[in-house]
Amino acid sequence: MTTRTLKNLLFTLFGGLVLTTASVQAEMRTWTSADGKTLQADFAGTAGAGANAVVKLKLADGSTIDYPVAKLSEADRLFVKGNLPTDPAALASEIDKLVLNKLRESYYGLRDELAALPQKADLTPAEKVKRKEEIEKEMLMCVPNEPTNDNQFLRRIYLDVAGRIPTFDEAEAFLNDRAPNKRALLIDKLLDSEGFVMRMYTYYADILRIREGITMMGNGDLKADPYMEYIKASIREDKPYDVLVRELLTAKGKVWEEPAVGYLIADQGMRLCNLSNTFTIFMGTEITCAQCHDHPFEEVYQMDFYKMAAFMGTTETTARGGDAMMMMGSGDYRAEIDRMNKVLLDAGKLRPNQTQDQDLGQWFGTHRTQVVDTESNVVKLPHDYKYDDGEPEMKVDPGTYFGDKTDLSKYETPREAFADWVVSPGNPRFTINAVNRFWKMAFGLAQIEPVYNIPGHLDGQAQNYELLTFLEEMMKDLDFSVKDFFRVIYNTAAYQREAETHTPSLTQVDKGTYHFPGPVLRRMTAEQIWDSLVALTTADPESVVRRGADEYKQVMSVDPASLKTADEILKWKEDFRNASKLQKYSGEVVSREDNVGGAQMFRASELRQPMPADHFLRMFGQSDKQLIENQFTTGSAPQVMALLNGSITNAVLTSPDAYLIKEIAFGKGSKRDNVDKIFLSVLSRYPTAQEKTAAQSGMRAKTDRDMSEAEKLKIEAQAIGNVIWALVNTREFMFIQ
Amino acid sequence: MKDQLNKLDQLSRRQFVARAAKTALGVSILPIAGANRLLAAGGGKAEHCIFFYMSGGMTHMETFDPKPGAETGGKTKGISTGVAGIELAEYMPQLAQRFSDIAVVRSMTQKTGDHRGGAYWMRTSYEPRATIIHPSMGPWAQTLLGKKHDTLPDSVVIGGGGEHPGAGFFGPALAPLPIGDPDKGVQNSAPYNGVSNDLFEKRLDLMNTFDDSFRRKFQTDEVKAYTQFYEETLKLMKSEDLATFDLSLEEKYEEKAARYGNTRVGKGAMLAKRLVSSGVRFVEVVSGGWDMHNDLWDAIPTTGGQLDQALGSLIDDLKAEGLFEKTLIVVGTEFGRTPIINANGGRDHHPRVFSTMFAGGGIKGGQVYGASDDKGIAVKENPVEAKDFNATIAHAMGLDLNKVIYAPSGRPFLVAGHTRDPKTDGIVTEGHPIMELFS
Repeated sequence: MTTRTLKNLLFTLFGGLVLTTASVQAEMRTWTSADGKTLQADFAGTAGAGANAVVKLKLADGSTIDYPVAKLSEADRLFVKGNLPTDPAALASEIDKLVLNKLRESYYGLRDELAALPQKADLTPAEKVKRKEEIEKEMLMCVPNEPTNDNQFLRRIYLDVAGRIPTFDEAEAFLNDRAPNKRALLIDKLLDSEGFVMRMYTYYADILRIREGITMMGNGDLKADPYMEYIKASIREDKPYDVLVRELLTAKGKVWEEPAVGYLIADQGMRLCNLSNTFTIFMGTEITCAQCHDHPFEEVYQMDFYKMAAFMGTTETTARGGDAMMMMGSGDYRAEIDRMNKVLLDAGKLRPNQTQDQDLGQWFGTHRTQVVDTESNVVKLPHDYKYDDGEPEMKVDPGTYFGDKTDLSKYETPREAFADWVVSPGNPRFTINAVNRFWKMAFGLAQIEPVYNIPGHLDGQAQNYELLTFLEEMMKDLDFSVKDFFRVIYNTAAYQREAETHTPSLTQVDKGTYHFPGPVLRRMTAEQIWDSLVALTTADPESVVRRGADEYKQVMSVDPASLKTADEILKWKEDFRNASKLQKYSGEVVSREDNVGGAQMFRASELRQPMPADHFLRMFGQSDKQLIENQFTTGSAPQVMALLNGSITNAVLTSPDAYLIKEIAFGKGSKRDNVDKIFLSVLSRYPTAQEKTAAQSGMRAKTDRDMSEAEKLKIEAQAIGNVIWALVNTREFMFIQ
Repeated sequence: MKDQLNKLDQLSRRQFVARAAKTALGVSILPIAGANRLLAAGGGKAEHCIFFYMSGGMTHMETFDPKPGAETGGKTKGISTGVAGIELAEYMPQLAQRFSDIAVVRSMTQKTGDHRGGAYWMRTSYEPRATIIHPSMGPWAQTLLGKKHDTLPDSVVIGGGGEHPGAGFFGPALAPLPIGDPDKGVQNSAPYNGVSNDLFEKRLDLMNTFDDSFRRKFQTDEVKAYTQFYEETLKLMKSEDLATFDLSLEEKYEEKAARYGNTRVGKGAMLAKRLVSSGVRFVEVVSGGWDMHNDLWDAIPTTGGQLDQALGSLIDDLKAEGLFEKTLIVVGTEFGRTPIINANGGRDHHPRVFSTMFAGGGIKGGQVYGASDDKGIAVKENPVEAKDFNATIAHAMGLDLNKVIYAPSGRPFLVAGHTRDPKTDGIVTEGHPIMELFS
């Protein structure tokens, strides 16, 4: 199954709905551009989608060029479209068929079981009653939910793709749009937005555990900016997912030079934990237990674990001895630090009684934190190894226990072999893991739960095995374009249905019998809540971003020998400290006044990672970035108190000069529509008549003719503030329907 | 209708119960359950624990293990404790006076010299790993003994930073309630400044009107849980439990605060006592300023003196209220400081040997356990590791050291670390209580 391509799969499943490309490979085709030029070339696939789609043309000399699909003649565009596996609508409709098939099949299966129930001899009457209830319940969940209306879709797609609710302007624009394909257009627009970068970054930062200081024990002297910006750039340019993973596993050097080393440095000094994490994150496989003993339930032996660990056994995250001394351009760094301390001391720039500047040594010392490949493999069996296939403390050779075998002789380092094995098409878990996790992002429940424990044999374990396999092949055919994958998913009718109104049962999840009549209702993540609040304070929630990688690289590339005077040294320290900052589009550094009363209402992805433990984000479940997926969406009394009594709902969003009041309610259109505008801003829908009456009661009661305009305005502002407060406190605000 | 689906046996039925029980402020629907305290061998007397965590690495030679006259001793003098041959550092006069109530451990030893790693060991008995977070002692006590109070939280951390392991793999439901500033109590527990009761009620009415159709349509466990959180929180805002966290309601507040020192650690001790009197089981008071790389002797009179004053007053007040025997007081830190004084007049990180202190809760006072060598560099006798330190706390509180608790991933853990018993191949405790401390 895994070797078959998507196109073949489609062909066999649906009788050739999509043309195969086999017929075009034999002869060279004549291509015509929109302005009439021609070219002889073979069709060699496509890349990208929408306006960015290119056709790959193989020329007679064997070279391949990318040509924009948009610049082809209409006939050629049709030809390409017919051969385009990335056509989101076609793929989406195949997914929809698979979802509907499964729902129908289950429905009929349950119906038959229900009919046969009275005759079942092995059940007591009480058991029959119980089973009958269960069956009826499950049958209801086999009926597809209603399609979302535009308001529901608008809100959900913004939250899923851009990570926040739409602003007032965005909501109005979409709802007023008359284009029949406006949903597909919005999906395209959002996937290319900075909001998508921030949203996906938050997801990756959670599973990769990207935090300030990078290492587990938080090396505060090492800046995470390059790693953060690298992940964001990879999302922005839609770097193929397999390429990204390979880079994370194979990068070497210092983080400001090769930012992808952040992945290995995150688990500095914890080689075996890092291996477990790599399996969990990229292969949905939990092998931590095999570190100490054979896996109790799966075919994973302790020896397997150490053979896998041995692939990374020549990789170090700290440069030692000679390496450390050589880490900077000029000679002995210790001597340089001593010299600089003396310069500072002589210039009277140290505190009384001090002879050393502490930061200086530590900041230059971070040159030691780097990924290096060494000659000797340090992975050995543990001291208490007790199985008969090895002795305690015995060295082990790298080896895989599933998927392809690797040939180390083809590689410079064993970890390159490992990285290739992880992302290879022969790895049965790599792509499945990705699509399973991504499906969960869209639907709230994965095809296989839990996502970190994909069983060795999938059939019968997944909610919809055919669909999961289809998604796997689709991901490969899309060349691991994450954007294109989501583009297809979000264009499905299945995604665009209303959320399930009840919680799927545990048996449905365990046995894989929840077949997605619609997405599951989800509480927003902490970041989605925060970023939605940000969207209530500005017309442009993505206007402030964190930057620091370039400055940090410059600072760290300075040769310490060039820092001769005390002023030069102190300037270097200042540059180091200022490397990471929040900036507006203009490049202007964000000041305190831009902070909406110090609240830092900027996208969560751009703030400190993670925020301090008592911050709103952490209270609502932002991951502490210590463990994979350590975020939570469960409630607590402090959350409720923060929304009832905290400064965000009582001042930032509701003071008379708050954005929603000043710019939206008083700044746009008629004041009579204030309640409409506020509802649209907060809930992405207009109020019902009853809601409108309730909201307006406050305003009417308090203002009267004798008041001055300023007084009236103040009363009105307060009344609007009450409506905002109440709306942000609703479950409707907090959940994604 | 799909309403009939909303019965037991749902995806997050278990989670729902846990979630709805999620305290934070003891908003709980879980019954009080669990094992009884083990009363064996002098242990089990401590119904409560107040753990003073000295963040940054408390210098042992200026607190509980002075070495006046030694070349490494610096200018720190010793003061008499009333027990022949035992002195505390001059910065601990209150504790020296009350030495008959306290026991000092001078042979602590730690595996690492980095703050976070050391703090993690001290709070959890385990080495930090990138695949699991181990729970701290308060949540362990709740897990092994059941919830102590029906509405108040079991554990509170006062003044802690973001690096506390909290409830670890026990999950957020058991997480200690964080209190930043002891004077401010629970964050956001009263209506925002200027919001009258009338306005508050009016806003709630609006909220319920606006949310009505959504709540009727989506009857998932999570939505219901949130609605329940709102109800419970509103009740809590009016309840007396909240007053427990309000230090200003303390009788003779000004006089008391002055006696405790009017400092963060002093107020932390005051609030801890108030919480313990009301039924909270485990309170950790975190106090920083101990990372004295520079100018140690400028800082120690203040930092050390504040701790001393807070502890002295706390012991007096607990005794006056008859709580001393039921309340274990512990002073811990991640490591000690180098006996060699550095170029900047400070001491650096020193995990090889350091000191901790125990009092109340069944501890036999007036004694020193273990010793460092003459220069304060290494353990001379009876080494005590973090897991033994926690085993001692566990023993005092009557926790079963050998009770295996499985993390959700299926991995087994014990309250004071675990190891394999070579005889039975079973899992047993790795840490052992210092039995000499118990009366």
